[in-house]
Amino acid sequence: MKNSKVAQVFEKYSIYIILVAMFILCSILNKNFLSSRNIINIARQLTVGIILAYGEMLLVISGLIDLSVGSVLALAGCLSIYTYYGTHSILVAMLVSILVAVGCNLINAVLVTHFGVPAFIATLAMQMAARGAALYSTNGQNLLQLGDYVKVGQGSIGIIPVPVIFMVLITVIVWYILNHTRYGRSLYAIGGNEAAAVASGINVKRSKYITYIINGILAGIAGVIFMSRVNAGLPNGAVGYEMEGLTAAIVGGTSFSGGIGTTMGTLAGAFIIGFLNNIMNLNGVDSYIQQMIKGLIIAVAVVFDIRSKSRKTRKIILTEDDNKEKK
Amino acid sequence: MRKRTMRILAGAVVLSMLFGMTAMADGFKVAYIARAQEDSFAAWLADEMRAQFDTYDDMELDVFDGQANDEKENSLIENAIANGYDGIIIQANNGEAQLPYIQQVVDAGIPCITTNPRVECEGTGSVDADPYEQAKVNCDIAVDQVPENAKVVVLLGPAGNFHSTERRNAWQAEFFDKREDVEIVAEDIANWNKDEAMTLMEDWVQANDHIDAIISMNDNMAAGALEVVKDDPAYDGVLAYGVDGTAEACLLIQEGRMTSTGLQSAGDLAQMNAEYMHKVLTGEMEVTDVYDNVPAPLITKDNADEYVEMYKANGQIKE
Repeated sequence: MKNSKVAQVFEKYSIYIILVAMFILCSILNKNFLSSRNIINIARQLTVGIILAYGEMLLVISGLIDLSVGSVLALAGCLSIYTYYGTHSILVAMLVSILVAVGCNLINAVLVTHFGVPAFIATLAMQMAARGAALYSTNGQNLLQLGDYVKVGQGSIGIIPVPVIFMVLITVIVWYILNHTRYGRSLYAIGGNEAAAVASGINVKRSKYITYIINGILAGIAGVIFMSRVNAGLPNGAVGYEMEGLTAAIVGGTSFSGGIGTTMGTLAGAFIIGFLNNIMNLNGVDSYIQQMIKGLIIAVAVVFDIRSKSRKTRKIILTEDDNKEKK
Repeated sequence: MRKRTMRILAGAVVLSMLFGMTAMADGFKVAYIARAQEDSFAAWLADEMRAQFDTYDDMELDVFDGQANDEKENSLIENAIANGYDGIIIQANNGEAQLPYIQQVVDAGIPCITTNPRVECEGTGSVDADPYEQAKVNCDIAVDQVPENAKVVVLLGPAGNFHSTERRNAWQAEFFDKREDVEIVAEDIANWNKDEAMTLMEDWVQANDHIDAIISMNDNMAAGALEVVKDDPAYDGVLAYGVDGTAEACLLIQEGRMTSTGLQSAGDLAQMNAEYMHKVLTGEMEVTDVYDNVPAPLITKDNADEYVEMYKANGQIKE
């Protein structure tokens, strides 16, 4: 009895236990890991990935996906720089970035909800189109001389970098939306069983639209942070960032089959990957080996997800059998 | 309704084919198969190619994007042969993968020039920038500039990339072998990307007490590494070497934040390609006699101004 309770606690909080264990292990492996500058570095490096991961998490929970977010980020970021060149207003530039990213995501949403195109295909098409548009708008060249635009990605308030402040605020907002709104709860229902969600009166189409719009807002903000952090408009930047977002979400316990996932789990997943990348770079691990280790971690996370899901299903079936026998 | 749509589509296809054939009838038609338009240097080269070919009344250029994909690039070469282009210029994504298809161009009797990188194939010509030389010009000054017992970091392009490998070979033979006191404290692949180089440098700065020099196989990565240490007084005198001579690198060198870069001039490459292709098509020379390299001038603080002006003229740097 006691053992099963311990197992339950471990299962529920496993991601946080792994995170703490990794933190301790990394601080033993390299003395520089625990320095405040390094911790701030990790947080700053992870900001864009975490923001994108929240978008992916919301989509995956509701049974969707976005493969276009890296390209959309590049397009939105580059167009925001053009806006900044013209207006010298960071606020207007960010607004344009968000509008562009939301526009792309609305197209994704229309394709998925109205035309029944699988999210994988619709967003793959958008990935190509948005990347093409980013390259076309910049003629394939990096945009330079960003001026004060870089303050969003490189500035600090006290010792806290501005991107980290964005990340914290967005984490709180996403956590609130997911846990304390009807829309948030509807996502779990849609991802768990869409037909049942429709039957129970949930406006599935509306929820999917909102999810893509939120994903767009996050991509737009990430676009400005990314470009200002690197101090250049990179039309070919952020390639593969959709995978970074998805990896953080999946490692953090979001189930690829939908219906399961938490904000804090995704945050923990991102930090696990971040700690791993950081410690491997600090210790000079060969980049080929780094890729192998990361691949292994993702595979382990997905296996863990599948096994825990089948355990839960077995538990439900056994409970139902017990109930029938009692009757 | 569906029939009408089909008719419109069919009409559009026929019109576009007729347009293509009409254009083909005037002067020489040349196809340029670019490696990847998403690569900023390749995009710049494609633009310069268009500009150079525009200066000829009797040549027209069509640019095709290989999208950094061997299969795509090979298909584009096959299409160019089938479409009867008078000449084909190929910027290989992967020389070995494109070699059989370049051979097909030769077999079809179409003059073929390979460029940036050169692909060794009998019957073709080539115009390239020598990656070894581009890095060597940096090494020649770094040998004297890098302090004794210096700690350096090395940023590499994609694994297996010919230009990255050759540039690294140059650094080994022309610098590290001559300066055995210098220690490489970190070396990793950043895939030519500024953001990836930033992440690596952020971690390397934590792992090492000090870094004296950044040795990068291209300018984008050098700029990324410099971005990390730009506000750190401890790195005020850090040396940074790159290759390409991008607009950003020229600005950084002008500001005194980057040490030097070896120029890989897209303008010169395009100008030579257009000139040689014209000579070949008008019968002035055989394609097999085309074998040339663009110069790789070193850009330092002493001459950065003239290159910044060049980029201002082509709009990559604002006034």
